Amino acid sequence: MKKLQQLGIALALGLAFGTAMADATLDKIKSRGVVNVGVVLGGAPYGQIDPKTQQPVGFNIDFSKLLAQRLGVKLEAVTVTPANRVQFLQTGKVDLLIANMQWTQERSEILSFVPTQYDESGGAAIAHKGSGIRKWEDLRGKQVCASQGSNFIKPLIEEYGAQIKALPSMPEALLALKGGACVASVHISTGIHTLLEEEPAWKDYEAPIASELIPSPGVIWVRKGEADTQAALDKIVKELHGSGVLIETMKKNRLAVPQAVVKLQEKFKTAAK
Amino acid sequence: MIESLLNAFIAAAKIIGLNYSFLLSAYERGPWLEGIGITIGLALLSIVSSLLVGIVVASLLTSGKPWLANPTRAFVELTRNTPTLVQLYCAFFVLNMLINQAVGGAQNNPLSAFAWVVIVLSLHYGAIHAEALRAGIEAVPKVTRESALSLGFSRSESLRYVELPLAMRFALPSLVNNLVNLVKSTALGSAIAVGEVTYASLMIWTQRDNVLELMIFIFLVYGILTLLVARAGSWLETHLRMPGYGH
Repeated sequence: MKKLQQLGIALALGLAFGTAMADATLDKIKSRGVVNVGVVLGGAPYGQIDPKTQQPVGFNIDFSKLLAQRLGVKLEAVTVTPANRVQFLQTGKVDLLIANMQWTQERSEILSFVPTQYDESGGAAIAHKGSGIRKWEDLRGKQVCASQGSNFIKPLIEEYGAQIKALPSMPEALLALKGGACVASVHISTGIHTLLEEEPAWKDYEAPIASELIPSPGVIWVRKGEADTQAALDKIVKELHGSGVLIETMKKNRLAVPQAVVKLQEKFKTAAK
Repeated sequence: MIESLLNAFIAAAKIIGLNYSFLLSAYERGPWLEGIGITIGLALLSIVSSLLVGIVVASLLTSGKPWLANPTRAFVELTRNTPTLVQLYCAFFVLNMLINQAVGGAQNNPLSAFAWVVIVLSLHYGAIHAEALRAGIEAVPKVTRESALSLGFSRSESLRYVELPLAMRFALPSLVNNLVNLVKSTALGSAIAVGEVTYASLMIWTQRDNVLELMIFIFLVYGILTLLVARAGSWLETHLRMPGYGH
């Protein structure tokens, strides 16, 4: 009974101070020698399971490895989905997120982020050839699939008046598109272009809208107010830009290098040496 | 009036650190309230049709004819022994696509995601109800069945007028238990973007940081719904009680 009471008190304290204790993330990473990174495995080139080895591969994984290596610790990649990634971060299951999560005003109010971006991307729509969709305005009143928690949902509803069907993640949304539950599915544009170029199963589909939906910086997210972790990671990201390692990693994963990243490499080139 | 009540509630919740400000945005409140309606709709439709499936399957199982009973047994085992979520994915992503191809395009397919949830839940819980009902049918004393047959009832008439009414009473507690589970299972709809209350909440908390607040609401919604089902069940139990007959 006494044990139970103690456990109860410990739990209550843990809940109450959970957020306060989490400030020491950088120390915790160093002391346990492992960094837990939440990654999204939504499909190539960012993250997918290698069918041969059953291991996660892709840009998100490679980038996480680089960070872990620079921090001098081991990488523990934790798979998250767009719908649960914020909770994984906030409850301390992961230390940081490399989860195709672009910067938005709303997100920056509840989480902290590494100021130097590592990517830049917007949304693209995938639709069956001959769907008649040519621009974002054509989606008005139409059923459009997306991932739960995607930052494209808000502009699609508020600006373009689309009817959103949000599935747990990109593969399910694409299945729903194939099944005819929606006329188009909107995801991170690089993911869609890789799919259309490399998967013969999608040869009857196209990305009919030329412009990207809300192109935004891709940043690393950490828990609110973790200045130490933020500063340490920012230094690493700048170094990865300047040394050209980041661009190499993008090219290795056949990710189109965004203009913003090219500019950042120029900017930090001298600083690195 | 409603607006001022809402404001008072939001202010009160803020004192204990809960942020319910989404209630003020019609763009989020609307779908959320609709979600409760859709959950209730899913639950009601699935309760009725799962019970119908259960009765049919139980009668086939106890029909005594192997060519009816054996395939039905296979159906029950298959449905009971695989996860409902997998069945739902299989139905919505695979079967639905095959139907689309057969009828020549999604626009000709009348089955919506909502319909698929009702179909899968009805079949899944129908199989589980059937097992409860079979137990009930088999608990009907042999003499009772024989008396019915000797009074000139056919096999199906005996099932309909004598055995099922008794079996229903025996099976009622497990049926109500199954129905409570069924109500909770409607949350699976969120996996295929049916706008029920779990999905509607998910859509809000992925845009705002208010998981805890919405979790409390979701618990309340399901808590009240399942309480109603359980209450209705115990009312039926008292109402249908036959004094001196095993109760």
